[in-house]
Parts: sequence; structure tokens; C-alpha cells
Amino acid sequence: MKKKEEIMIDVNHVSMRFNLGIEKGFSLKQGFIDLFNKEKRKNKKKNEFWALKDVDFKINKGEVVGFIGSNGAGKSTLLKVVAGVMKPTKGSVAAYGNICPMIELGAGFDPQLTARENIYLNGAVMGYSKALIDSKFDEIVEFSELKEFLDVPVQNFSSGMTARLAFSIATIVDPEILIVDEILSVGDIAFQAKSEAKMLSMIGGGTTVLYVSHSLESIKKLCDRVIWIEHGVVQKMGGKEVCDDYLKFMEKKEAGDKNGKEGN
Amino acid sequence: MVKFINNIKYTWIKYGFLLQQLVSRDFKVKYKRSVLGIFWSLLYPILMMTVMAIVFSNVFKMSTPGVSYLAYLLIGLTYFNYFSEASNLAMSSVVGNFSLINKVYIPKYIFPLSKCLFVGINFLLTLIPLYVVILATGTGLNWWHLLLPFSFICLFLFTVGMGFILSTISVFLRDMFYIYGIIVTIWTYLTPIMYDINIINPTLQFIMKFNPLYQFINFARSIILYGNCPTLGQFAGCAVSALVIFFIGIFVFKKNQDKFIYYV
Repeated sequence: MKKKEEIMIDVNHVSMRFNLGIEKGFSLKQGFIDLFNKEKRKNKKKNEFWALKDVDFKINKGEVVGFIGSNGAGKSTLLKVVAGVMKPTKGSVAAYGNICPMIELGAGFDPQLTARENIYLNGAVMGYSKALIDSKFDEIVEFSELKEFLDVPVQNFSSGMTARLAFSIATIVDPEILIVDEILSVGDIAFQAKSEAKMLSMIGGGTTVLYVSHSLESIKKLCDRVIWIEHGVVQKMGGKEVCDDYLKFMEKKEAGDKNGKEGN
Repeated sequence: MVKFINNIKYTWIKYGFLLQQLVSRDFKVKYKRSVLGIFWSLLYPILMMTVMAIVFSNVFKMSTPGVSYLAYLLIGLTYFNYFSEASNLAMSSVVGNFSLINKVYIPKYIFPLSKCLFVGINFLLTLIPLYVVILATGTGLNWWHLLLPFSFICLFLFTVGMGFILSTISVFLRDMFYIYGIIVTIWTYLTPIMYDINIINPTLQFIMKFNPLYQFINFARSIILYGNCPTLGQFAGCAVSALVIFFIGIFVFKKNQDKFIYYV
């Protein structure tokens, strides 16, 4: 039996509903038309979309958990719920420790500011204190290899340079919980190797990691446990063998698609 | 109570730096690449005042008996411009930062709040030309000026409250950006900025006094122009209108903020 203190993340019967009927706000014209359209009002219920259905698991301290599933299966939504960006429609999530969400890098960049200014701004967005950024500033600059471009506005950077800067800022802390949404391939080949090494050292350092990737190879290499999600439902949870089941499922699906097309 | 204070303290430690970064970001971006830079904050109200003074005192023959019309006008403009600029920026701040809200957990109220603070610093700068005009027109100074910060705080709280309400509405109803532009224009004319409230008929006057902005401006005018200590009623008028809107704003924002994410 694991002790209770060792549980870092407790995802408790989480369901997440999106309303596909919502089209960015509400327009008066459409609202007026809908008022007279009984059919549409009835359809509103049908437009609901459950991105997650009754997902329930616990993650222990130091565990590296991989999430797999086809596009739109609900992996990213799940990570966002764990990171606190979204509140679940049903159920609850508890995380015991500070979270470093690397869901999308450089989200907090202001293109008009220089790299130096953006390090502070993005650091603040990630929840770092000023003292921390001050002390790690040189490390960030060195890792990103952007010393000559420190006072250049980020809008003049190439996308690779921006990504390098973002990665360097994001990985400077040692969080207790790390959420990674497929970002290992950043920058050129040399930087890719460097960033992968950095990720591995972070993962190996006893951090609890939630890792989403389509690369089964890296999932197999890194993760202790694999959770396979499809249509918002957990299909299988377990060791690396889940990857093989997933692969079989995908192959079958592909074959099915082909047959379906030929049939038509 | 102690818990409440500790809560605020904790929030400040955690997000104070981010708030500071967001405000300084706005400053840097606003004046980047402009030749006169921050001098625009000083120049703009003076130019605005000059134009309006020429139009209203020469064309419409407006005057304020016993006191300088220029000072009268500029007090109103300074207060109203703060409100209209800050509330406009605050309104679009949540929608404008959706890309961030969608990816990292940040308390959402920080966006409208940072805009109100940013414009607030600008407001303090515009006090410089205001005092230049006060001295140049021979209006003179008196000790009651030390009470003016009370009206600044009321104006700020009122604007933050309005910012919360407007930013919430605009998430669900994007038309608000256009509607509010018209509302502000109407509001400008309903607030005695360029005319004396005494030229209006008494019933209308009574209604117009419910305008919180009139309360703040009137408070400042009775100190600066007439050298009076504001009456208890004036103090109460400012404090009540500011706090009511402030708390309504907090309530509306807090109640709806979890739904924002669905309207991205």
C-alpha cells in the first residue's frame, strides 16, 4: 500500500463538457432567430461534447506517466484540467505541489519587447519570483545561446530562436510536478539534443511528470506508466504494453478506414 | 479577518511581481519607438484642453463665473480621461489575453487590474499639466489639496469595478466593444466636464448627481477651484459610489470567470 502523502495528483472522476453550440460569444440576431426556432433549442442538448468522461486516476510522487491517444482524444484537455487552467464540469482534481505547465511555450511573450524583458515577463507568467529570475538569468541566457540577441525585440527572432528562449525559461526551475505537452523537438539538431538531455535530467530528478506525446518510442523510454485515452475515456492504464495495444488499435482503425473508403 | 489579510499577503507575494511586470510591459510597449515617449502623457491633456477650451469658450460661449474656465475644464478632463481610457483597456484585457488564459493558470482579474494601474500611473503624470494650469490661471493652492488622493482612490476603485463588469460582459458579448464606445460618448456629455451643472434644469440636475464621475470631479473642483473642504455628503457620495461598483464588479467577475474559457 502506498502512503497517502505520496500521492501527488488525484484526479477524481473528472468529466469535462464543452458546448459545441457556443460560437464565440452570442449574437443578438442569432439569439432572436433561435427564440422562434424550437428545433434548435432542442438540439442544444445534442450539441454537447464530452471531452473527458469520468477519468479517474492517482499519480504518485516521482512517477512518470505518459498519455497516448489519437488527436482530439482529450489528452490536452486533461492536462489543462490538472494544471488548473480549466475547471472540470464534474469531479475534482487535487495537485499536491507546485506545477510547471509546459503546455505551450512562449505563450506569455510580448513580441515588441526584447529578449531580456521577455525573460522577466514570461518568468512572471510562469509564477517565478523576481529573485529567482535574477539568480537564474545568466543560466537562461547561456542555455538559450542567445547572448548577442538579448536586446533585440522577440518579433525579430526566428521561430526556432523564440522556442529556444521559451524552453530555457520554462525549464529553469525544478518543479514538483511537470506537465509536458510534446515539446522535446525544439530548435535545431544541436539544441534538440541539449533540450532532450535537460528534459531527461528533469524527469530523472524525482519529479512527477505528466507527459503527452505521439512518439511511442519516447513514451516507452521515459514513462513508468502509460494511460491511453480515446474519446475522453480511459481505455487502458498500465505499463508499457499499453503502447502496443494502442498501436494495434490504430492499425486496425487505419485498415478499417481504408476498407470503408473502398467499400464506398 | 486575519485569514483574509494573510490571503491578500499570499496573493501579493505570488502575483505582485506578475502585476508589476504586466504594468511595466504596457509602459514599454506604449512608448516604444515614439520620439517624445512619455512626454505625450503630459502633452496630450494640454492639447486636448486647448482644443476644447477654444471650442467651448469661444464658439459656445461657456464660462464658469468666479473661477478659471481652463482649470474647471481640465479637472473634468483629467478625471474623465482616466476613467474612459482605463475602462476601455480593462474591457478588452481579458479577451486580448485569451491565449495566455487558455494555457497557464493565472488569476484572471490581474488583467483588468493591471490596465487600471497602468493608466493610473499615466493619470498621476497628467496631474503635472493640471497643476501647471492651476498655477498659471492664478487659481492658487490651499491645504485641502491634501484631501485629493481620496478622490483618486475612489476613482480608481470605481474604474476597477467597471473594468471587471465590462471585461466579463465582453467575453460573452463581443458587441460590447462597440456599444461601450457609444456609452462613453454619451457619458462624456452627461458629465459636467465642459459645462456648469447649474445651467441644467433642476430635475435633470438631481438625476445627474447620481453619476459617480460627477461625484469625484465635483469633489476635486470644490477643493481646487473654490478652496472649500468637501462636505460630508461629498465624501460619502464618492466613497459609496466607488465601493458599490467595486464590489459589484468583483462579484460579477468572480461568478463568471470559470466560464471564460469556453468562450475563447
